[in-house]
Amino acid sequence: MIKQSNLIKLVLVGVLAASLTACGSNNNGGGNTESDTSTNANTNTNTNTGGNAPAEEEKLEDVTITFQNIYPDPTDPKNGMLKKIVADYEAAHPNVKIELDSLNTDQQKLKLKTQAASKEVPDITIVNPAAQMQPFVEAGLFAPLNDMVEQNGLKDTFTPGILDWYTFDNNLYALPDGNNIGVVYYNKELFEQAGAKVPTTFEEMVDTVKLLKSKGIQPMAIGEKDTWTGSFLFMNVLLRTNGGPGFLADVAAGTKTFEDPAFVEAVDAFQSLVQAGAFQEGATSFDYNAGENIFKTGKAAMYYMGSWATGGIETSSVNGKVGVFKFPTVNGKGNADEFMLAPGSAFAISANSKHLQETKDFLNYFMLNFPKEAFAVKGAVGLAQIVEGDFKAAGYSDMAMEVLDLFKQVKGGDLSFDNTMNPGTSQGHLTSIQNLFVQKKDSAEVAKEHQSAYETNKQ
Amino acid sequence: MNVLRVSKWTIAAFVLPCLILYVGLVFVPILVSVYSGLLDWNGIGTSKFVGLDNFKTLLFDDPVFWPSVRRTLMFAVFSMAEIPVALFVAMLLSRFVKKPNFLVSAYFMPVILSVVIIGQLWKTIYNPAAMGGMLNQVLDQIGLSSWTHSWLTDPSVAMYSLYFVALWQYLGYHTLIQFTGIQNIPADVYEAAKIDGAEGLKADWYITFPMNIPIFKISIVLAFIGSLQAFDMVMVMTGGGPAHATDVISTHMYNMSFLSMKYGYGSAIATFLVALCLIATVVINFVFNRLERKYT
Repeated sequence: MIKQSNLIKLVLVGVLAASLTACGSNNNGGGNTESDTSTNANTNTNTNTGGNAPAEEEKLEDVTITFQNIYPDPTDPKNGMLKKIVADYEAAHPNVKIELDSLNTDQQKLKLKTQAASKEVPDITIVNPAAQMQPFVEAGLFAPLNDMVEQNGLKDTFTPGILDWYTFDNNLYALPDGNNIGVVYYNKELFEQAGAKVPTTFEEMVDTVKLLKSKGIQPMAIGEKDTWTGSFLFMNVLLRTNGGPGFLADVAAGTKTFEDPAFVEAVDAFQSLVQAGAFQEGATSFDYNAGENIFKTGKAAMYYMGSWATGGIETSSVNGKVGVFKFPTVNGKGNADEFMLAPGSAFAISANSKHLQETKDFLNYFMLNFPKEAFAVKGAVGLAQIVEGDFKAAGYSDMAMEVLDLFKQVKGGDLSFDNTMNPGTSQGHLTSIQNLFVQKKDSAEVAKEHQSAYETNKQ
Repeated sequence: MNVLRVSKWTIAAFVLPCLILYVGLVFVPILVSVYSGLLDWNGIGTSKFVGLDNFKTLLFDDPVFWPSVRRTLMFAVFSMAEIPVALFVAMLLSRFVKKPNFLVSAYFMPVILSVVIIGQLWKTIYNPAAMGGMLNQVLDQIGLSSWTHSWLTDPSVAMYSLYFVALWQYLGYHTLIQFTGIQNIPADVYEAAKIDGAEGLKADWYITFPMNIPIFKISIVLAFIGSLQAFDMVMVMTGGGPAHATDVISTHMYNMSFLSMKYGYGSAIATFLVALCLIATVVINFVFNRLERKYT
């Protein structure tokens, strides 16, 4: 009797304990949310990398490779392309299984950071170039790909110079999926309605904005909740007022400060654009997609964005009415053939991968086939690799052809702010620029904000 | 204890599993967080021990931190000020409505919706009139054009727009809690009071308020802790922008830990938040214990 009731008690206590901890984990305060997500992330990868059954002598060992990527959207051609290459490879290598971990860009960034903190980086993951991948490289999380890129002539498929953004101390750590430039898309129909012409200088652009505005047409669209969008445009202005690329590099080298006249002039010019009413009301509450949708639904006349937006615009309702132009010179300064460069997100391999060689072989195959397959699904505008094939004959739109034409005219340029400066300084910059969308500020003060953000975050 | 004839060791053995889980899930992360707050660490690479430097910068040199603390506390004040309103609604419901359950559930609806949905919903309501914003269009229609605002992007009103959404969402929640509290007050107490000549407001004053104090306290604590943790709604609607105008402690912590990649500094903010929660809970408990002793 006593024994039995003890048993019941034990069960009850167990239930109680379980229910209490279930409540407890919900209430453990704001400070613990990070650790929660990190454990979730870890369990995901753990289950993915498991399952290496001991193989027989003559058979090849079963290998599972985790492939974290940022093509989760099944309607995006790149998603299908990714699956196709993976399926082809798996068919040719029956012992290899590729586990896809497809995430949105922001989710992936966050997940990788939590995984990196516990040194559990997936076999293949996605990183951004230059300054954004530097902390990962310095922590020794990625395997050098120098030998792999030489195999099967993979290196020669990349456009010259692009791999430099992913190289640290002569070691290449990642292979980019794209290479884009900042361009201005414009809606020809709306321009015609207002009787506006394609601006060739920044001053004309401001006038065009005023003209469009006076005709009741929304001049430009932007998704400034995401902050990098405005920064990308601003940096293009700075690229002009500085008379060429390298302003941030000069700041980092200590030969210039943010209080340099070129920077202040850029802020002035940028503010003149904002104050002319270029952007939609409440721009800072529109995220990237919502901002782009204003343009894609034909409700705005101009849209400044990286050339990666081409594909999205092609599949929208304004397809066929859209042209592109280069960002114009500002106050007669700069060269319109210098662009904001956006070397794409890139595939990197974990240094701690259990199957380093197999992973390298797969990525080699993947990148070799990438341009061909991307071309087939009309996603080959703005690739980091040389694409063979006739775009026109393959049915690419006129706009896509125009963009491809601009690529041929590129004579250098700058990377975005957050790809050049450390994350702390970048955040200071991004909020400072976002602030210009909601209030007019003294340009010298903006420059000062930047300088102090830079100094407090300098290592 | 002796009645149960169980030795202290047995009790300890039964408490232990739960204790270990609780300590592991609550106290260990907090301690790790406190320790990370002492590091100069980007979350990935090598870390450097910097003692209390992070806290020093946080408390004396961070231009975003104190305003975000102020906004968080304002959030808490508004949420707590809402509870008497919820109590009032609950009293009206239990007194004048024949079948109040339907209304209570209706008020409760927003709570079960995901914050992301609420955020998107109100974002569209707050949009500028040109983008289909309902609030501004209504104001225009009734001739109050001068009252229209860029509700989420004007730094001086954005935060209040966010407070309002949170209040709207949680009114039903607290109404439900208070309503249940009132229902639990035995009817015979009111009947006795009626015989003694206390009815209506007087009965509320001498019976409902004092007997409902413990429930009131629950709501206050929930509202306070909830507002200190406010994160998702801010993130969905403004992301802390424009230019930090709507940053609260938790969004600032997120920005620092994950966007600026100063994990150590973010942990220092988290530590501050934990301390704030603990202090607040102690203070609220103290105040209510005195109230309860006074009235019961």
